[in-house]
Amino acid sequence: MRHNINLPTKVEDLLPLKIGDIVYLNGSIITARDLAHKRISNYIHEKKPLPHSFNKIKNTALYHCGPIIKKINEKYKIISAGPTTSARMNSVENDIIKFLDIHILIGKGGMKNLDEKNLKVIYLSYPGGCGAVASRMIKEVVHVEWLDLGSSEAVWFLRVDQFGPLIVAQDISGNSLYK
Amino acid sequence: MDNKIEILEKKITGLVRKAIKQAVTTIPEDIFNFFKKLYKEEDNEISQTQLRLILENFQYGKKAEIPLCQDTGILNFYIKLGNKFPIISSFRNIIDKVVQEATTDIPLRSNSVDPITNKNTETNIGLNSPPISIEIIDSSSDIEIFILPKGGGAENISKLFMLDPIDGLEKFPLIIKELVQEAGGKPCPPIILGIGLGGDASNSMILAKKALLRPIGVRHERQDVAELELKIKNSLNELNIGIMGLGGKVTCIDVHIEVSMRHPASFPVGVIVQCYCHRIASFKINKEGELIYEA
Repeated sequence: MRHNINLPTKVEDLLPLKIGDIVYLNGSIITARDLAHKRISNYIHEKKPLPHSFNKIKNTALYHCGPIIKKINEKYKIISAGPTTSARMNSVENDIIKFLDIHILIGKGGMKNLDEKNLKVIYLSYPGGCGAVASRMIKEVVHVEWLDLGSSEAVWFLRVDQFGPLIVAQDISGNSLYK
Repeated sequence: MDNKIEILEKKITGLVRKAIKQAVTTIPEDIFNFFKKLYKEEDNEISQTQLRLILENFQYGKKAEIPLCQDTGILNFYIKLGNKFPIISSFRNIIDKVVQEATTDIPLRSNSVDPITNKNTETNIGLNSPPISIEIIDSSSDIEIFILPKGGGAENISKLFMLDPIDGLEKFPLIIKELVQEAGGKPCPPIILGIGLGGDASNSMILAKKALLRPIGVRHERQDVAELELKIKNSLNELNIGIMGLGGKVTCIDVHIEVSMRHPASFPVGVIVQCYCHRIASFKINKEGELIYEA
């Protein structure tokens, strides 16, 4: 079954999404990979508030991605932006999505120990390696945070249009396509 | 500097620059054809959905001249240097310069992080990187250079096993099967495996990486090694890991094994895992600087 989801979204809209379904996303997403996860974890432990820009990401989607970015005429442009291996974030992801109040993860390879039921989170798989076509679906770089981590590790705030096909690989009931 | 050497260095510089771009933006024909065929054969809907995007990405990356995958990897340089090819000043300097330029121009993602300070040079060069491996070819006056961008997701699954000689040969296909099963979708399957059998610890890993330079479908010239390649490939395709670990008929595109004599006490098995987006480019010139091929 095919679904169109506009972000930010309500948790209720994610309930009908079952493993194997195809999803296309529209609206705001953010990227975060290894170092951004580590930094957010530090903020959680130190009970520090995140930069203001993070206030707007509630109920959007978190994309495990370290993109190639080019600055053209003072504006950032996404050149290639496929997913990175999500499993590297296994140990901290539950705390992070709870802290950010995010219910959609995008990545590749799936995650272990994800608390889908209690945190009401789904995991969407985007085919790895397909970074070139992804750049066409990312319409705008809205903002960037933590560039000191390096451009591929920074948190990019993006606006996407018909971002997909994303495959529901872990659904809110805890069903998974990964064996 | 000798004018002839200078001309050769310029020629190599230009061809390396072109080959890096080719490698990251264009999928080799053998892989493209494999996926075109797979798309016709795969009947599962999740696989088909992914295959459509994969084929579209191959075509769009080439057309738009942008990296197919954002992980442009660590650029592995593999040089087959004829012993009669003129001595040039420095492969390291030529390659570093071109890689640094390509990082800005194409652009590439910078994958060069200092392991102690965690600082990314943002240039893709520094501290013995990018890796350059040189093999001297006897009775040859040519130079052949391969560029293999190696992404992190697949490389993270790579492993060295030091098995017992008493049952290493029987055990290693099973151990590799377990490794691939455990990895699931992480290395971007369907994967290609390079295996270095024998040698010592470092040599088996070098051979495993070298094995990836062989085009898919091309078997080792030794019959017994070729049979092992097929046996392992077929056993991996029983796993039903499929594209990106979401299930399907094909888990492994091909297995390439290179062999070396081992120590009586050791049975090293080097395994290098490569993602489906197996990007590679190469060229060969003679000592006059004339192009023999580029691909």
